[in-house]
Amino acid sequence: MACAEHRKGSDMERYDIAIIGTGPAGLEAAITAKIRGKKILLVGNADLSTKVAKAHAIDNYLGLPHIAGADLAAAYQKHLDSMDIQITQDRITAVYAMGDYYALQGAGTPESGMTAYEASAVILATGVVAGKTLPGEERFLGRGVSYCATCDAALYRGKTAVVIGYGSREEAEAEFLSEVADKVYYVPVYKEEVKLNDRIEIIRKKPVEIREEKLEQGRKMSVLFEGEEAPSLLVDGVFVLREAVSPGQLVPGLETSGSHVVTDRSMACSLPGCLACGDITGTPYQYIKSAGEGNVAALSAAAYLDMKRRGEA
Amino acid sequence: MIKVVTNNDLSEAKNAAAAVIDFNATWCGPCKMLGPVLEKISDEMAGQAAFYGVDVDENSDLAEEFSVMSIPTIVILKNGEVVAQRLGFAPEPILTEWLKSNL
Repeated sequence: MACAEHRKGSDMERYDIAIIGTGPAGLEAAITAKIRGKKILLVGNADLSTKVAKAHAIDNYLGLPHIAGADLAAAYQKHLDSMDIQITQDRITAVYAMGDYYALQGAGTPESGMTAYEASAVILATGVVAGKTLPGEERFLGRGVSYCATCDAALYRGKTAVVIGYGSREEAEAEFLSEVADKVYYVPVYKEEVKLNDRIEIIRKKPVEIREEKLEQGRKMSVLFEGEEAPSLLVDGVFVLREAVSPGQLVPGLETSGSHVVTDRSMACSLPGCLACGDITGTPYQYIKSAGEGNVAALSAAAYLDMKRRGEA
Repeated sequence: MIKVVTNNDLSEAKNAAAAVIDFNATWCGPCKMLGPVLEKISDEMAGQAAFYGVDVDENSDLAEEFSVMSIPTIVILKNGEVVAQRLGFAPEPILTEWLKSNL
């Protein structure tokens, strides 16, 4: 199991700072935190940021005029290697403020299953989430709409549900749900082939709205598909499963503004010991701004840890 | 302290002046993280409300009765009446404030 190496006996290893994201903000935060002698966990993509790597040319990055994205990414990697900074390849799905520390939950790999990490401070550098929510999705959250099939499956015994999956990894959640629920429908919002057990009915239509239906036999949920005048699918619950989650969903209790995290000049968020940097904090979406904020966030995290050690935080 | 509810029996909470009920399951990640946070709050707020934990797997009738569709869900009862309900994990200060404002 991947999480095993982060455990010491039954007690989990506690990092000083967990940095989530491997774009310019996260990498600069990792470098600065390492220079400050902190024990860091850098979680993200071993290929760094695909957004940076694909950039044609960047013209306003200080000291590196007209650099191609791929060259900038290679320079980042060289910098990380020179400082012996490793990337833990994982996708963090939730960050819980436990009071004294942060508990991070990761998707892990199909072999390892879910992973878990702990850190005294956390830096969010996950970039900005593009996708919009479906009409009705937020309104009915917890009242027929759910983001977590593994959490809520127990409540669907003998009931019907539809899973709207935005990536093939969500198929496992539909499988899990189908072990408990009476009937599961799966709506893939992607083109790849879908592999599911034959008890799950696949619907190849584009969902456009989630509605509530008050019928004689009770309250139901429905999904309206593109081109339909009225919803054709009636279920007890709708699961919306996306690869990227909004900051407020990633860190429950965090103050957000739209798809961004609210920070002050020190990059501090509304929760003590939580900092954010890069595109997640808002526009302008510029690499040099992200890197600069990463530097500030790491220094602020270090200051927070020092205060905490002195018993002031 | 959080009392574990068994056999769908919530009569004690319903008869209490103020009760806080945590609907959870062993296989739900956010529920597991919420547990210790709520445990701490229950000690700090002892005397103000009685705290109960309901495993929805073992008490499915109660989940149905309170129309719990997602977990973790926290329900506040006053003399048996639902006065407030919230979904998902929340850090201790936010949860404490919410409980105090509804109790």
